[in-house]
Amino acid sequence: MNPVNDTIRFENVSKFYGEVLGVNRVTLTMSPGITTLVGPNGSGKTTLMNLMTGLVQPSRGTISVLGLEPRNATEFFCNLGYCAQFDSFPRGLTGFQFVLDSLMLFGMSEEDAHHLTAEALERVQLDVDAAQRKIAGYSKGMRQKIRLAQAIAHHPRVLVLDEPLNGLDPMARAESLALFQELGRQGMHVVISSHILDEVDRIADRVVLITGGYLIAQGNIHEVRREVRDKPMQVLIRCDSPELLASKMFAVNHCVEARLHADGHGVFVRTADIDQFYRLLNDIAVEGLVRIEAVAPADDNTNAIYQYLIGSDGSAA
Amino acid sequence: MSVFLHEYRPYSGRTTPLWTRPLVLARYGLAEVWSSKITVGLFVLSLLPCVVELVMIYLADNPVARLLILRGNPVLTINETFFLNVLETQCWFALVIASWIAPRLVSFDLGDSALPILLSHPISRFGYLLGKFIALAVSLSYVTWIPCLVLFVYQSYASPQPWMLTHLPLGLGIFAGAVLWIALLSLTGLAVSSWVKWRVIATGAIFAVVFVPAGVGGIANAILRTKWGLLLNVPVVMTEIWQRLLGAPAFMNPRLELPNFAMAAVLALASLMCVAVLNARIRAREVVRG
Repeated sequence: MNPVNDTIRFENVSKFYGEVLGVNRVTLTMSPGITTLVGPNGSGKTTLMNLMTGLVQPSRGTISVLGLEPRNATEFFCNLGYCAQFDSFPRGLTGFQFVLDSLMLFGMSEEDAHHLTAEALERVQLDVDAAQRKIAGYSKGMRQKIRLAQAIAHHPRVLVLDEPLNGLDPMARAESLALFQELGRQGMHVVISSHILDEVDRIADRVVLITGGYLIAQGNIHEVRREVRDKPMQVLIRCDSPELLASKMFAVNHCVEARLHADGHGVFVRTADIDQFYRLLNDIAVEGLVRIEAVAPADDNTNAIYQYLIGSDGSAA
Repeated sequence: MSVFLHEYRPYSGRTTPLWTRPLVLARYGLAEVWSSKITVGLFVLSLLPCVVELVMIYLADNPVARLLILRGNPVLTINETFFLNVLETQCWFALVIASWIAPRLVSFDLGDSALPILLSHPISRFGYLLGKFIALAVSLSYVTWIPCLVLFVYQSYASPQPWMLTHLPLGLGIFAGAVLWIALLSLTGLAVSSWVKWRVIATGAIFAVVFVPAGVGGIANAILRTKWGLLLNVPVVMTEIWQRLLGAPAFMNPRLELPNFAMAAVLALASLMCVAVLNARIRAREVVRG
């Protein structure tokens, strides 16, 4: 497939609402799979999603979604499913009618729309009785599910989900994440903005960090972490003699911190040079003085990257 | 790195033509509007004058009934003036119904922030408004030209003389006059409802938009000693238009009669203002960051 026709591309995109900055000079490319948009409130995540879904037009730059542009509305919107963050629905509809109505707006025949509605409701695990009730009487979790059903019902190739996990209980969150993961593995573009970083981190293929309307970082989480060179990487090593290991690590320059794990069977090591660190660890293992059981990055995740690049106050570090 | 199976298949079935999509919104708009008991109540109320007028046509056209009830008094004549009164009555009922219905069609969507969801479908802002316009226009048709033409047809049937062919322009005038009013009322109703999100206020604002300029026009007439302030008086302008379309005798002092082009210009200007308001207000997003 032509790469342009299989990616979401932003080229030097800016969006201003009058004098208010939405996003500025964003250039990024998203491949199939799951992409997480991460940033503090007011950072421009929703603006980025609105631009992607054609709901707002960029002030500058160009956007193409699978080679399509919003002005080609029919094809563009048929390839795109959008789940807004707002708890908003056309009034008076039942869950089933909401999805059916949506499908008919996509141009499905009534027969196809009924079939696809039932399929979508099954995928989000909303039972038939609940679907026949008015949305006004739904719990927050059910509203999230029906929104998600509406977004996936027409089989889009790009799914844009604005805070899709808000209000879901742990079980429903796990089911939703499994669904996103499944769709991502099938080759769909799933773009998620979420504050529940720990959970989306497990399924995301790449992360886009944004703050104050500016793109801070994008790419595979591990690659992005490696690029953050001014923050030494933290690695947890499970072993039988953490004190000995820590002392050996401190003997070299690149190790800036070693901290024993609370259970006494491991040590957190911060290193400014991860390649040298792994070479040293190999040497220690070969020596046989320390029995190493497991090695795992301790800050190689979205949450840590968020803290390093954006900080807890939301301003880019 | 994930392994993407590329087994996902987008929908590849047949789709309906693009022009039919606003009808989906119109259908749901009609369902929403007519689910209200107040709408049904107003509809029934608006048809009561038609029942009275139906009886009047029966009395006027039935010699026996006329002899027994009206004692042969020829006071009841079914002519252009009669149908002008019928049309006027129904059109003012239409204003009441529009002020109730229009906010339900638009204010709810804006108040509930439902526009981003609806506009992320292959439907434009124009398509969205067209759907709402159709729902409103169809609802108003039930109380304007449809009952008026039913009375027209009944008069054609009940009249002892051949009546329909000689009065065909009257029938066309009723239809054109009602459609003009429906279009103006629908545009005004949608524009005001998109401007005022609170439904109750929107209902009042629709009445205000129709009647407040009439007061302003009256003041302008009195101060400037002119007749052109009447152009702001929607009831007067519309009644003059209906009178001319139906071919009924003039009711205004000839000095105060308004030229056709001036009335057409006022209606066109009002419609353009409504379109401008709708263009500004019906958007997928307001300033939202997050």
